[in-house]
Amino acid sequence: MILETLRIALRSMASNKLRTFLSMLGIIIGVAAVIAIVSIGTGARGEVTSQIANLGSNTININPGTQRGEGGRISRPYTDIFTLELGENIQNFSPAVQAIVPVGQGTALLISGSSNIRATVVGTAPDYQAINDYFPERGRFLLVEDLDVNSNVIILGSEVAGDLFGEEDPLGKKVRMNFGNRTHIFNVAGVMQEKSIGLAGNFNTQVYIPITTYMQKVANTRYVDSYIAQADSSTDAKIAVGQIEYFLTRSLGSSDKFRLTSQDQILEVIDQVTNTLNIMLGGIAGISLLVGGIGIMNIMLVSVTERTREIGIRKALGAKRRHIMRQFLIEALSLGGIGGVVGIGFGRLGAGVIAHFGGWALVISTVSVLLAFGFSLLVGLFFGIYPAYKASRLDPVKALSYE
Amino acid sequence: MIEVKDLHKTYFMGKIKVPALRGVSFSVKDGEFLAIMGPSGSGKSTLMHLMGCLDYPTAGEYWIDGKEISSISDDRLAEIRNQKIGFVFQQFNLLSRTTILQNVEIPLIYRGVSLRKRRQLAREALEKVGLGHRLTHKPNEISGGQKQRVAIARALVNNPAILLADEPTGNLDSKTGQEILEIFNDLNRQGHTIVLVTHEKEIAEYSRRIIELRDGIILKDEVVV
Ligand SMILES: Nc1ncnc2c1ncn2[C@@H]1O[C@H](COP(=O)(O)OP(=O)(O)OP(=O)(O)O)[C@@H](O)[C@H]1O
Ligand SMILES: [Mg+2]
Repeated sequence: MILETLRIALRSMASNKLRTFLSMLGIIIGVAAVIAIVSIGTGARGEVTSQIANLGSNTININPGTQRGEGGRISRPYTDIFTLELGENIQNFSPAVQAIVPVGQGTALLISGSSNIRATVVGTAPDYQAINDYFPERGRFLLVEDLDVNSNVIILGSEVAGDLFGEEDPLGKKVRMNFGNRTHIFNVAGVMQEKSIGLAGNFNTQVYIPITTYMQKVANTRYVDSYIAQADSSTDAKIAVGQIEYFLTRSLGSSDKFRLTSQDQILEVIDQVTNTLNIMLGGIAGISLLVGGIGIMNIMLVSVTERTREIGIRKALGAKRRHIMRQFLIEALSLGGIGGVVGIGFGRLGAGVIAHFGGWALVISTVSVLLAFGFSLLVGLFFGIYPAYKASRLDPVKALSYE
Repeated sequence: MIEVKDLHKTYFMGKIKVPALRGVSFSVKDGEFLAIMGPSGSGKSTLMHLMGCLDYPTAGEYWIDGKEISSISDDRLAEIRNQKIGFVFQQFNLLSRTTILQNVEIPLIYRGVSLRKRRQLAREALEKVGLGHRLTHKPNEISGGQKQRVAIARALVNNPAILLADEPTGNLDSKTGQEILEIFNDLNRQGHTIVLVTHEKEIAEYSRRIIELRDGIILKDEVVV
């Protein structure tokens, strides 16, 4: 009986394909939007998350806060707060911090033979490699002894090594560094592996020297530019943020003098952005589903009017109200269902195109497909109720004499 | 067994009352062949709709098999139509999008008969009216006389006690009309109660009894000799 009705419904839809398609358009657009939004959201988030993982795991960046400009001075970051001792103390007073490295950086011109290149010089400590999940491909990274004696060793990023030495082996070679107006000679002790470019910028164009050497010989400063701290897990990272905040506020006297950036915070911001986007696009999807529902209702009302005589005949032959109701509900459900399937197809297509240009893998979740399909059935059912009810209440005598 | 007692039907067109039946009483015994005659507008179709349980009377009583329909619900009336009454209309009233076989199956669908059984019963009914070979045709592919045979097969398929035919030959030429009337004659001989609405004397003479209506009341009720 239900199958029979479904067949009748499908046949009546097939007999007027264009009209059927137009009446389903709203549903199609709504469902396509839902599928595409969910897929694009998932894909984009996956992409961003992998970039964040690229930063090193569970790290917290500690940067100086920004000074207000007053009395003719221009606002700029504090440069005279972060010392090596402060870094050590952060670790000592923040149990959740498992490792911390200081970072001092500036640009210099590096020269070897007839080649030269401008690069970022990063003064730091041995733990830098573990924190950033970034290791030497050849030779070694900085050692504790290098820091103890302010040695002039340098580790090259992969691009710098290629630019300065080409095919030659840089290990053991000397590099001249012009920093400010002074020149230093460094011994190449290692070349880093290539690291893909992520949110943290390009590591491959940097060179690494001991932080002590950087401060005392190169930059002539008592201060470092920032610290990178690491915790054991993302829960620990949250705890660590609190501990560092507490310690620094107390020892510096103000929370304005430093700024903490954790991956959680970055993720939160990204989630906020995607959420806003989702709400917006979800709204669009909702409105098109509503419009789609009204489209279905409209076409169903037309269908009921057109088939008044058929309804009269069926009633004369013994159809009860619920039989007529069922027939038109199944028809409305089929409209919604078919619209849903077509919409899922279009949504997939759209998501595929955007994934292609966004450079991430196309993910269509089963949940979103089922949800979208369920919604289109629901819309068909809901907006089919009134026309079906109207049909079921027709007076058989009047319906039979309808021209 | 049908009993009509002082039946009234008044249509309301806005404020205007149109009295179509103004107190009609008679009874029909099982197996009768009755013709209802009268000029256009005399209330024949109105009476037939009431007898077919398609509508409620404004006043009076209509008894069918010991039940009075005024107090019966819409859905129960549908059941009575489905099981006890077969309709044949002047305009055939076949569903144009479905095949002849499927048209004849409709009353069985609403009775809840299984697909296999439905096919079989519908085919048998069509064979009875001589259309066993046109099952998969659509209504627009057959002649008027054949359409009316399909309608008769459909009316018969649930084996109802009463067959109601409103001007069944109205859209047919006289030869085809006679063939249709012969079928009714046969069915009556097999025991079906037949009520035939017409305004033509010659057609009414196929029956055993003629009720003549005029302006919503019975003018004559006589047995044909
Ligand atoms: N739905 C309706 N609304 C208002 N008036 C109606 C309606 N149906 C029938 N009538 C009126 O009731 C009266 C009886 O109509 P009915 O159709 O029963 O006549 P009839 O004898 O079948 O006529 P015909 O031979 O033309 O078919 C007529 O005056 C008609 O105009
Ligand atoms: Mg009439």
